[in-house]
Amino acid sequence: MRTNYRVNSGVRFRMLTDDQLQELFDGVLHVLENTGLEVHHEESRQILQEAGAWVDGTRVRVPSWLVKESLRKAPRSFTVYARDGNREHNIHIGPGRAHFGPGPTCPNFIDVETLERRPYIKDDVSIVATVVDALPNIDFCESLGSVDDVHADLSALYEFAHMFPNTSKPIVAWSFDKYDSEGIHQIALAEAGGQEAFEQRPNYIHYCEPLSPLISTFEALDKLVFAARKRVPLVFTPCAIAGGTAPITAAGIITQGVAESWMGLTIAQAIQPGLPFIMGGVLSVMDMNAMVFSYGAPELSLMMAGVTELAHFAGLPLWQTGGCTDSKTFDEQAMIEGSMSVYFSALTGGDLCHDVGYTESAMTGSVFQLAAMDEAIGYARRITRGIDVNEDTLATEAIHNVGPNGHYLREPHTRRHYKTEFWYPNLCDRRNFDEWDTMGRKTMKDRTIERVRDILASHEPAPLKEGTETLIQSVLEEAEDRVQQDWWQEREIAD
Amino acid sequence: MSDTLERLATAVVEGNVDSMEELAQEALDEGLSAQEILNDGLMGGMNHVGKEFKAGNMFVPEVLRSAKAMKEAMKLLEPMLAAGEAQATGKILLGTVKGDLHDIGKNLVGMMCEGAGFDVRDLGTDVEPDQFLSAIKEFEPDIVGMSALLTTTMRAMGDTIKAIEEAGLRDQVKVMIGGAPVTQRFADDIGADGYAANAASASDLAKEFVGAA
Amino acid sequence: MSTIYEKLATAVLEGNSDKVPDLIQKGMDEGKTAKELLDNGLVVGMDEVGARFKRGDMFVPEVLMSAESMKAGMGVLRPLLAEAEEEMLGTIVLGTVEGDLHDIGKNLVGMMCEGAGFEVVNLGFDQPPQAFIDAIKQHQPDIVGMSALLTTTMRAMGHTIKAIEEAGLRDQVKIMVGGAPVDKEFADRIGADGYGSNAPAASDLAKEFVSAA
Repeated sequence: MRTNYRVNSGVRFRMLTDDQLQELFDGVLHVLENTGLEVHHEESRQILQEAGAWVDGTRVRVPSWLVKESLRKAPRSFTVYARDGNREHNIHIGPGRAHFGPGPTCPNFIDVETLERRPYIKDDVSIVATVVDALPNIDFCESLGSVDDVHADLSALYEFAHMFPNTSKPIVAWSFDKYDSEGIHQIALAEAGGQEAFEQRPNYIHYCEPLSPLISTFEALDKLVFAARKRVPLVFTPCAIAGGTAPITAAGIITQGVAESWMGLTIAQAIQPGLPFIMGGVLSVMDMNAMVFSYGAPELSLMMAGVTELAHFAGLPLWQTGGCTDSKTFDEQAMIEGSMSVYFSALTGGDLCHDVGYTESAMTGSVFQLAAMDEAIGYARRITRGIDVNEDTLATEAIHNVGPNGHYLREPHTRRHYKTEFWYPNLCDRRNFDEWDTMGRKTMKDRTIERVRDILASHEPAPLKEGTETLIQSVLEEAEDRVQQDWWQEREIAD
Repeated sequence: MSDTLERLATAVVEGNVDSMEELAQEALDEGLSAQEILNDGLMGGMNHVGKEFKAGNMFVPEVLRSAKAMKEAMKLLEPMLAAGEAQATGKILLGTVKGDLHDIGKNLVGMMCEGAGFDVRDLGTDVEPDQFLSAIKEFEPDIVGMSALLTTTMRAMGDTIKAIEEAGLRDQVKVMIGGAPVTQRFADDIGADGYAANAASASDLAKEFVGAA
Repeated sequence: MSTIYEKLATAVLEGNSDKVPDLIQKGMDEGKTAKELLDNGLVVGMDEVGARFKRGDMFVPEVLMSAESMKAGMGVLRPLLAEAEEEMLGTIVLGTVEGDLHDIGKNLVGMMCEGAGFEVVNLGFDQPPQAFIDAIKQHQPDIVGMSALLTTTMRAMGHTIKAIEEAGLRDQVKIMVGGAPVDKEFADRIGADGYGSNAPAASDLAKEFVSAA
């Protein structure tokens, strides 16, 4: 037995030194304490003030000690559970574990049958969720789009209502406001078995997005307050644009983005100490010619790596982005940009990497991009798993047994390891030319389309508990009544 | 073209803010009219900027710098331009609609339109229909541009257009809309005159509206 | 309750070498003939292995385990089949040609062919033409398989075929060739009867040669 043996658990990437991380950390504290943020939510301002923040009108500045205290309260590691108790679908968030899933809110979708780009509709939600449920390297679910064929205020609720039955992998639920959030929470509770059971085994994550630069919007905080009170694990992530809504330098955008996220952290931990909090954000560049927020830029991966390291330095898990592309279609650009970014994400161990499957800079969701990236993630995960070195893997005994001119195909050592030592592709083709020719010369794109359609034809996600489906229907009906009555217009925005 | 006009155009392309006033004065001293300086010097430069930007050879910060250079020269020329020709291209009123705090896309549109020679007034974010109405009355724009980033707030663009109609101002302005979830179909639905997919095409659309394309 | 045939097929599929002889004994006790147990049990199992392997649902080490269990079964059945004068699938002589020390591909072919029910005589690597000729005379094979990994050594396959012709043995055997640089065109040029692009294809080809495919 070895003692005091230093082991690298796998291939990992570390870019910043401790000194640099400390400098970034201090920069964030400085922004929060010195510049502060606009907080457009009265209740949150009260909570912040009581916790020790300085409130001046809508501007709130947070002293460093309060931020540090909030960081201390938030957990680095926790588990989000599959709704059906399937342990393989649980997500264990913690050091060295990178998880992947699609993103939300694309207006368009690549139709699975016609392969044409068209508006995202309700039926697409179950398609995405079913594909997510079946793909081995996709760990959590978002919808890849905003439902166009329901009342605009209800698209987030419909998304959750249609994702939940079609995958037991944890869902990261995006919503417009706390009314959606309430509906979503009701559905999740029905399956979890009540609030107390949910708190012990949460089955979804709530997503809120503040606005850059330095604005905590009413909706983002209203949802945060709701989720914190109900003890729903929380993602709080800005989507800052370097050179547009944030400084153009990587260090600058990280500093500002993290300050925006930690304002949410401070409020959340004041309401619910120990609430699982996944910090953001999603940081990339505004292309200074195409004028888009680039989802395929190398700086995206670089900024993600930097903010991941800062998050881990501060003891929080990170919400990041990868597997997406600026390409308009399933082509070489999409594969390069998507694969490079998931590989980088896997190397940094950024905890929850979303937006897998985005094409056209987040304007179009594609399950084909998602399925291809599942393959790239499998590839990346094999690399980050690294090389195991021990007496068994050194194989000196097998080497001796086989000797010169023998072969290892029949060795017990080979049989013991062939399934775990190698990664086997689902989509990449390794057959020889003749076989490839015989099989119809299918390209990666052909095989990806086939795989998605196969999944949709054959995969059956775990069923919901009895009664949950009925509850989903009644939640949707209630919501429809609400928007018909247009409570919306009469709602007082307390600012 | 006179050498001075060429130098003016080049100064616009290079975004040489500091030398604009001096160059414009020089051109006036040579006996050129304000209108000639504007049309043949400044706008020539800005057209070149537009082309280079589309070709991918210029970047947003450079375009904005060129727009600023043009504005510098206009400070001197504006009082001399005949009434009715006071605007290089036209006037645009911009705002992000009620309930929406997203700013960056609309800001870009504003800057690109300024770069194309428009006089732009930006009402900012979370703009109520009433604010649009009073600004139309006071500023008398040729074009009203509205933006929304959220599917929930984009409907407020329809409400705003309705309010403009009800106030009897709809015939005075062209309305263009934009923002990530906005499509041509939506623009048609709510009765806008046009839709632009990004800031550069918004500026093209605006030029089309005033017949300057 | 599954039949003895199904149990045998499953044991082959699972590569359970220990269980196969017992199951054959049990089948004999039930009054089944050796031929019946082979055709309805072992071969059915190996066919399923082949299908799964082609689909990518089985891996080489698993196929080899199945082949071994098949071999274990054949060890029991072969004397019984000979007794009943049943025809065996056939005999294959295999070797890597002169000058080439690469062994693994040919070994895979050998194991796959054994799994398919052939008697395989593996000559090893770096085999001069005379070694093939001697083996043909001694073992009277139906098929001769040759392999080469190097473009420099693949020509030796041509020399070997010529030597077999000159020895007057060419009509007695079918010749199949394989190896990374080998293709159909090369096989035709040197006068081989067929080419297998990988081990399962070689095994299929061998079955075709003896018309058992």
